[in-house]
Amino acid sequence: MRLLKTLIPGDIAAGLMLTGKYFGKVFFSANRKKVRAHLKHFTQEYPEIPVRLAPRFRGRLTLLKDEQGEIKCVCCLACEKICPTQVITIEKGKMEGRKMPYPVRYDFEMERCIFCEFCVESCGFDSIILNHQFELAAYNREDFSLGMEGLGQNMFAPSPVGKYSVAED
Amino acid sequence: MFKSEELEINLGPQHPSTHGVLRVKLRLDGETVVSCTPVIGYLHRGLEKICENKTYFQGQVWTDRMDYVAAISNNLGWVEGVEKLFGIETPRRARYIRTMLTEMNRIASHLLWLATHALDIGAMTVFLYAFREREFLLDLFEAFCGARLTTTAFRIGGLREDLPPGFVKQARAFQAIFPERLEEYETLLSENRIWKKRTVGVARITAEDCIALGVTGPVLRAAGVPYDIRKAFPSAAYAEMDFEIPTRPEADTYARYLVRLAEMRQSHRIIQQCLDGLPEGPVMAKIPKILKSEVNEVYHAIEAPKGELGYYFVGEKGGVNPYRMHVRAPSFVNLQALPKMIEGRLLADVIAAIGTLDVVLGEIDR
Repeated sequence: MRLLKTLIPGDIAAGLMLTGKYFGKVFFSANRKKVRAHLKHFTQEYPEIPVRLAPRFRGRLTLLKDEQGEIKCVCCLACEKICPTQVITIEKGKMEGRKMPYPVRYDFEMERCIFCEFCVESCGFDSIILNHQFELAAYNREDFSLGMEGLGQNMFAPSPVGKYSVAED
Repeated sequence: MFKSEELEINLGPQHPSTHGVLRVKLRLDGETVVSCTPVIGYLHRGLEKICENKTYFQGQVWTDRMDYVAAISNNLGWVEGVEKLFGIETPRRARYIRTMLTEMNRIASHLLWLATHALDIGAMTVFLYAFREREFLLDLFEAFCGARLTTTAFRIGGLREDLPPGFVKQARAFQAIFPERLEEYETLLSENRIWKKRTVGVARITAEDCIALGVTGPVLRAAGVPYDIRKAFPSAAYAEMDFEIPTRPEADTYARYLVRLAEMRQSHRIIQQCLDGLPEGPVMAKIPKILKSEVNEVYHAIEAPKGELGYYFVGEKGGVNPYRMHVRAPSFVNLQALPKMIEGRLLADVIAAIGTLDVVLGEIDR
């Protein structure tokens, strides 16, 4: 009986049947559809086809402006206080014709940010959000210190993203 | 003609099967392990000290970085520990959602364990199959809290937001496919003769040794001790759930494999009950903006995928941060069992033993 079991490897054949089933499925459907459907395909052709993120995705911190183009932030410093890694620095200031305080500086050190969204949660004025950007790599360390005005990155627009593909050239 | 002497070698810290930066000093006699010393500390960040300088709200984000494959379980331990310290009552719906997500995280963690453990031993196929289901779960986490690994899923007093639209439907889709996917892993491994040769009778540890060393989790349950924090000290909504504690008497690597698979089935059952009986209501209790503690100390343990995960807080009078915070990390304690498991066994069994302990170095070093 044991000899028979050794000679006819039923256990391994069962495993091979399963992998063969999936091989067949992939073999006859690969590259036909470029969709993100969980039950069919799991590999995504990422840089060419953009990733669909969940609406609650936590990306880079962004300052918001209201309809008149004014900064919504009123320097309550709630985000600065709640931040677990102290990446936000705000300098309070006054502006002509504005009742609420106005941030003269709003500095954000992205290299230390852990994307926990506590700052957005603590904000009572909905003046900051985390956008849906996750391709945040940069070549220089200075590129990670964001501010309201600056050379490379500012707090209002999304970060510049490098080109991913040489196929377009 | 030939001299015979013992040879001392290092396994790791860069070895792919040590699951991180674990270094194991081995003294070998031929292929037999004479003694074994795990060397840890390569990933030490001083999390306990950092948390003492952060408020109770801020500290939660550090717990994500301990056991990074089961961040939601760590979050649960932190928030429930702090709630215990301050006597905060959480709404029932929040507790149900917490339970559901923690069980999903348990499945995700066990899937990662199954994938990497099988990969170490040589069964490569399971790796991709298990990651397929894990991906599904990580997408659910992303839909719920916005991140896949460093979740920071819960808040002290409840949840930040309710479940997103479509979450329950996706979760039910997962529930529908998962049992047959588990069957697939079993088809690939359970009866496979190579898998059995590598696991049956390997890395045995008796129940007495487990208890003496403080080993908890699936390793202890595979030694026949039905100890589970979810049953022994139920928190969240575990008291209202109907599930069993799977145990095996053999106490070897194969038994631990079977126990973990059975645990995934039980987690599946718990998620189903949570989805069916999800109560309506608010998800956040009313809590003050600043939590100031009295002189008080609290130990709160939950059942993480690896074992008993305990948080110990000491509050200071009027302090906004814990005076002392300590984590009883299951991987750290379970790793002590490694010398007991492999001394006198073959070198190849070391790989199986490290895999079967399911250690995560982020949690060991903290």
